[in-house]
Amino acid sequence: MARMKFLLDAERCIECNACVTACKNEHEVPWGINRRRVVTINDGKPGERSVSMACMHCTDAPCAAVCPVSCFYTTADAVVLHDKDLCIGCGYCFYACPFGAPQYPRVGNFGSRGKMDKCTYCAGGPQADNTQAEYIQYGSNRLAEGKLPLCAEMCSTKALLAGDGAVIAQIYRERVQRRGYGSGAWGWRTAYRETVAI
Amino acid sequence: MRALFLAAALLVAVPVAGQAQTNPNVSGTPTNPTSMLPPVADELEVIKALQGGRVAGRITIPDQQAASLIQPGGRSWREFHNVTLAWVGGIAVLGMLALLVLFRLMKGRIPVEGGLSGRTIQRFNLLERANHWMVASTFIILALSGLNLTFGRHVLLPLVGPEAFTAISQWGKYAHNFLAFPFTLGIVVMLLLWVKDNIPNGTDARWLKAGGGLVGHGHPDSGRFNAGQKGIFWITVLGGAAVAVTGYILVFPFFFTDIAGMQLSHIIHSIVSVVMIAVMLAHIYIGTLGMEGASDAMTSGQVDLNWARQHHNLWVEQEMAKGRGATPPAGAKAAGGD
Amino acid sequence: MLIKRSEARAGRQRQAAAYAGLSSGGLDRRAFLKQAGITGVGLSALGTIPLTTIRPAAAGPVNHQQPVTRVKNICTHCSVGCSVTAEVQNGVWVGQEPTWDSPINRGTHCAKGAAVRELVHGDRRIKYPMKLVNGQWTRMTWDAAVNEIGDKLMAVRQASGPDSVFWLGSAKFSNEGAYRKYAAFWGTNNVDHQARICHSTTVAGVANTWGYGAQTNSYNDIRNSKTMIIMGGNPAEAHPVSLQHVLSGKEQNRANLIVIDPRFTRTAAHASEFMRIRPGTDIPIIWGLLWHIFQNNWEDREFIRQRVYGMDEVRAEVAKWTPAEVLRVTGVPEAQMRKVAEMFATQKPSTLIWCMGATQKTVGTANVRAYSILLLATGNVGKEGTGANIFRGHCNVQGATDFGLDVTTLPAYYGLDENAWRHWSRVWGVSYESMVARFDSTAMMTTPGIPTTRYFDAVTMPVNAQTGLAQRDNLKAMVVFGHGGNTVTRMPEAVKGLEKLDLLVVADPHPTTFAVLANRRENTYLLPICTQFECDGSRTASNRSVQWGAKVVDPIFESKNDYEALYRLAGAIDAAAARRNMTFRMQEEVFKGFEIRANAPVAESILREINRGAISTGYTGQSPERLKLHMQHQDKFDLVTLRAKADAPAEIAGDFYGLPWPCWGTPQMRHPGTHILYNTNLHVKQGGGTFRARFGVERNGVSLLAEGSHSQGSELTDGYPEFTTAVMARLGWDAELTEAEKASIARQGGSASWATDLSMGIIRVTMEHGVMAYGNAKARANAWNLPDPIPVHREPIYTPRTDLIAQYPTLPDRRAFRMPHLGQSVQNRAKDLAPNFPIILSSGRLVEYEGGGEETRSNKWLAELQQDMFVEINPQDAASRNIRDGAWVLVNGPEMPAGKATRMKALVTERVGPGVAWMPFHFAGWFMQEDQRSKYPQGTDPIVLGESVNAITTYGYDPVTFMQETKVTLCQIRAA
Repeated sequence: MARMKFLLDAERCIECNACVTACKNEHEVPWGINRRRVVTINDGKPGERSVSMACMHCTDAPCAAVCPVSCFYTTADAVVLHDKDLCIGCGYCFYACPFGAPQYPRVGNFGSRGKMDKCTYCAGGPQADNTQAEYIQYGSNRLAEGKLPLCAEMCSTKALLAGDGAVIAQIYRERVQRRGYGSGAWGWRTAYRETVAI
Repeated sequence: MRALFLAAALLVAVPVAGQAQTNPNVSGTPTNPTSMLPPVADELEVIKALQGGRVAGRITIPDQQAASLIQPGGRSWREFHNVTLAWVGGIAVLGMLALLVLFRLMKGRIPVEGGLSGRTIQRFNLLERANHWMVASTFIILALSGLNLTFGRHVLLPLVGPEAFTAISQWGKYAHNFLAFPFTLGIVVMLLLWVKDNIPNGTDARWLKAGGGLVGHGHPDSGRFNAGQKGIFWITVLGGAAVAVTGYILVFPFFFTDIAGMQLSHIIHSIVSVVMIAVMLAHIYIGTLGMEGASDAMTSGQVDLNWARQHHNLWVEQEMAKGRGATPPAGAKAAGGD
Repeated sequence: MLIKRSEARAGRQRQAAAYAGLSSGGLDRRAFLKQAGITGVGLSALGTIPLTTIRPAAAGPVNHQQPVTRVKNICTHCSVGCSVTAEVQNGVWVGQEPTWDSPINRGTHCAKGAAVRELVHGDRRIKYPMKLVNGQWTRMTWDAAVNEIGDKLMAVRQASGPDSVFWLGSAKFSNEGAYRKYAAFWGTNNVDHQARICHSTTVAGVANTWGYGAQTNSYNDIRNSKTMIIMGGNPAEAHPVSLQHVLSGKEQNRANLIVIDPRFTRTAAHASEFMRIRPGTDIPIIWGLLWHIFQNNWEDREFIRQRVYGMDEVRAEVAKWTPAEVLRVTGVPEAQMRKVAEMFATQKPSTLIWCMGATQKTVGTANVRAYSILLLATGNVGKEGTGANIFRGHCNVQGATDFGLDVTTLPAYYGLDENAWRHWSRVWGVSYESMVARFDSTAMMTTPGIPTTRYFDAVTMPVNAQTGLAQRDNLKAMVVFGHGGNTVTRMPEAVKGLEKLDLLVVADPHPTTFAVLANRRENTYLLPICTQFECDGSRTASNRSVQWGAKVVDPIFESKNDYEALYRLAGAIDAAAARRNMTFRMQEEVFKGFEIRANAPVAESILREINRGAISTGYTGQSPERLKLHMQHQDKFDLVTLRAKADAPAEIAGDFYGLPWPCWGTPQMRHPGTHILYNTNLHVKQGGGTFRARFGVERNGVSLLAEGSHSQGSELTDGYPEFTTAVMARLGWDAELTEAEKASIARQGGSASWATDLSMGIIRVTMEHGVMAYGNAKARANAWNLPDPIPVHREPIYTPRTDLIAQYPTLPDRRAFRMPHLGQSVQNRAKDLAPNFPIILSSGRLVEYEGGGEETRSNKWLAELQQDMFVEINPQDAASRNIRDGAWVLVNGPEMPAGKATRMKALVTERVGPGVAWMPFHFAGWFMQEDQRSKYPQGTDPIVLGESVNAITTYGYDPVTFMQETKVTLCQIRAA
């Protein structure tokens, strides 16, 4: 089984936000919920880099570890998903997540959170694949169709890679060797406790 | 108002680094040519430069939480929640229960010395009692629903299954969020009603020195509230304030603070809560099973005079002096009445 | 505990599919690299998955039991030309998939491209025709709307003449929609579109240098470059998918990527060298680079000798730009200038990429000329990896320019002289005299019209041939298709013009700023037009590749496509003319020869007419059939050369993708198109070429023809003029014309040039001889017909460096385009205002929005990403003004009405240097602090509104094209 990961090549990311709107488009993600986002560090200064970030589908996912209701599960492809029918919107996963991935629709009283929403790696949810029920709660299930997450597939400069960790790491490694520089596989150390050795 | 709120809670959580400053060559001069190899925004370099702090940048969407790219603090919070809190909470709650069992076994129920007199004295009026029970009942629900978030997954979930557990937890969350308001109100009223009787004084020192009469024999002097009760009071008021403030920060996510502030709020909220739960277990025990005659104070509000003399002799004297004498039992005739 | 029910099965399936051909075992290095992002990326392997292994339905709210149709169209935003694959079910666009096969975008998109599906669901589109009745938008039927409009247009025509109607077309049109024929038959040259405000100066500058006003190479070809300069452009935001090629090239070749810009852009973040310049000093920079190049003999002497005219005069000008003077004027030190000059001149092939930072200037044409001269001096034209890679702005701004939505020329750059009119009259099958009769006069027929940058001046300015407007009457009516009202500078003046118009028609998917900006209460119409996704037609990407977009779904709501709207309007005009007993008619004559289906002309039939007439630009080989074959076989074209690969089917074999123009001769001649212009290393029949002989054969005794340089296989090995029947006869090649060709030429009067020979026999025969029909000349370093034959530095009109005005003044006041063009008189006034407005204001693009922004600000997926108009301001300037990042500020400019200001958010950043501010130009809907949301028809207001930068921008026009100055003006900023 593959170990699905995201890899962001910051040397290529230009903050075009295609990943963000592709995600919105594919899953009809509502206004205010940002399953993916692009953050620019050192903005306006030499060394500026943009990084597209979403749920990294961590090894030993912190969200799953702290969830009071154990609504997370990991698929055979190592995609970290959750069951919205079990989620109570407590927000603990947001405190634990290193990447700020969990999103909460505002519902009802005060700023209280509805059921958590996050990147599904375009792998849907616990329902049967590509059913209407799955789509409504989680969006489409591209993985079940033999496709990869649309954010990575549509990335304008091929900065965002998705797929089996070993394969995308190799792609990145080849790139770095070819061009002679790299700014690290952003988030890998935190999410997977490894880096791409060049 | 926000600032006050924050300052009061000492929760001004400053992110370790708002903007990653990794390049010493940054220059503001307009025409300064800048060669940009080698790149300096390597992930490891940045994280090293920040010494484990938060990596944040600029984002165009209004949600500024999203500007935080990597927050290693999540890992510490996870460690706290899953390990520290579980141990502290477990030890506090179970330890207190164990202590109480031990105490009961050793000392048994504390009787009213000389038996009930049959004459009673008003200890708490209706307002005091109603307020107490509002705080008490909300506290119990808040405590149970709170403990559920930490321990329910291990204790309750295997028993009832995921769907039922989610239903319980969901209602628990609603209850927790809403009952926070009457609880807070009750704490404020409690403070107003009882603060004057809870100022520590010399009697308390003596009372404490004598072990509160629980250890050894003899009853130290005590006013309306003894030092132990004053402790409970201040723990309730101060602890209640702490959980209330941190709780409201948690209920309005990111309205007052950022992710680090939220994590810190949660840490304070949960630690103070488990300590309060442990203390309240003792309070409940003493107020009910542990001591003969104590529960009357918060039920009818009338306590037996002997009980009162035994535990709050100074207060009884004070009340008597004020002319608010004891009430004879129903049916008792006034002396020399016939 | 929780296991997905179908996990094991799905998991196996997706692995098998996702990594087909990409397992570690069976993949050689070349195949790997190809998939792995140097030439490609691993993900592109997905493109090899046979569709049959994928579910029949697409993502989105799809019924997975029902079949799904896949339709390919082209993204309607920038000019890169990304293919969009739409998944359609029951007439609804339900999903968008990557188009792996396209050699241009290879599946990828930017934020806009990945969000285009929203456009045809957009609940903020105009849903039905409307008009203003006493200030209120009122619904009406299409028939009623076009009848009223037709009647009012004829009233204007009758009272003021055809030149009082301004036809504003769109760079969003398909080529077929952009065909200028309609305006010609109305009888005016007052027809324009967005190219005026984006690359008109490029077209003028580049065409005057070497023949054609277009990108010489392609996005893909940039992969071959060893040195790239991006100057006055931010493609990372404006053309994000182009960065795929730029960055791949940079990585593969370890190429130098040099960004020269006043602003540290997202592009600059990826540069190997960033040069910050003072806005408006492009020519000093180029001359400064050339100073080092000439000083060190880095120029390409042989190339200059063979193919460049007038370089010595450039040397004389360049000699003035010593390192010290460059430093004084631009702020760039000698060491960096020398470094960049050396890289560009010696680490070849080198390319120069530019956008509106170069063009939107009072010296726009001169800038572009200077850039071209730098390329010529270093021999960087006409080869792989070189060239002027001009990134154009809109999806079909190239095509709309080519098809003459322009005040200066008929389609395909024939100009406006009698020969041009006679040529197109022949193509249209009408007499020249009948066309003359449609105009006010023969003089007006050959006089360039009013550019879109000045339309409002033409409404308000007194009519006077010497001091005012030189036409019969002011503009009285304006018909606007697909154009934002906030894209032109001096908006406070525009408001006055709009309020004075007798008739304003806005035909667009969205109301646009035109509909709300002015306080009009009557005589204002909104016609709902569909997007290009709801329409068939071809569009030309910036690299001249023509791509056919197929209609994804039928137009939504009551919207109609451009063809049908224009067709109906023509009918209404005719009816109105008939009612007035006028003989003037449009519908039958304009649409004669087009196939009409369901009340609308069919796009293919329009393209076929274009194929017959647009000979000069080589728009003749791109038949609808060939274009559709290219779309069908996109995967058969090479990523770098754009050429059909060996395994391509015979009908596209050898073609360049999209038959980039010039694609000579008839479609049957199977010219492959021209990937790289002026490339002498290829045979003419294979897409080779020479510099065009457009400007005669000699000047002042010096030959203008090439010396010893020719395209491969040419029988003429030296320079030669353009071909006419006379030249053919002298060479004896006329005998090779077929009888049919001879007959055709005879029908034209016996003589023709290559560009007017409708038989295309001259082109056919010359190609057989390996000769370029348009001649073989030198490129012109000296363009003597321009105001500045050799570009010279001229300070912006509003400059903070008033000390430089005396030495580098702008041009004196003059006349052009039927009206006065002020230069020095405004600059002298501006000099006194400068101290009160100490900050330079520049403007540009955001990736999320496009153009005036009405469409993209109405797209919920995009609007969420940029919710506020902002101004970038340097931390120093912000600190001295007590401005915090994210706080509200007030900005005003020297030409704004007294006491007025614009209100926006401050973005405090070092992207801009001290003394410079930058704003995005996509916002509108607030005007000098007035929120105009309530003025939109209900439900059509864009989600995000904001102040427009053009409320602040000032007077300033390029002398050649009337391009507006948007990049350098002055402003003042204060905390709100």
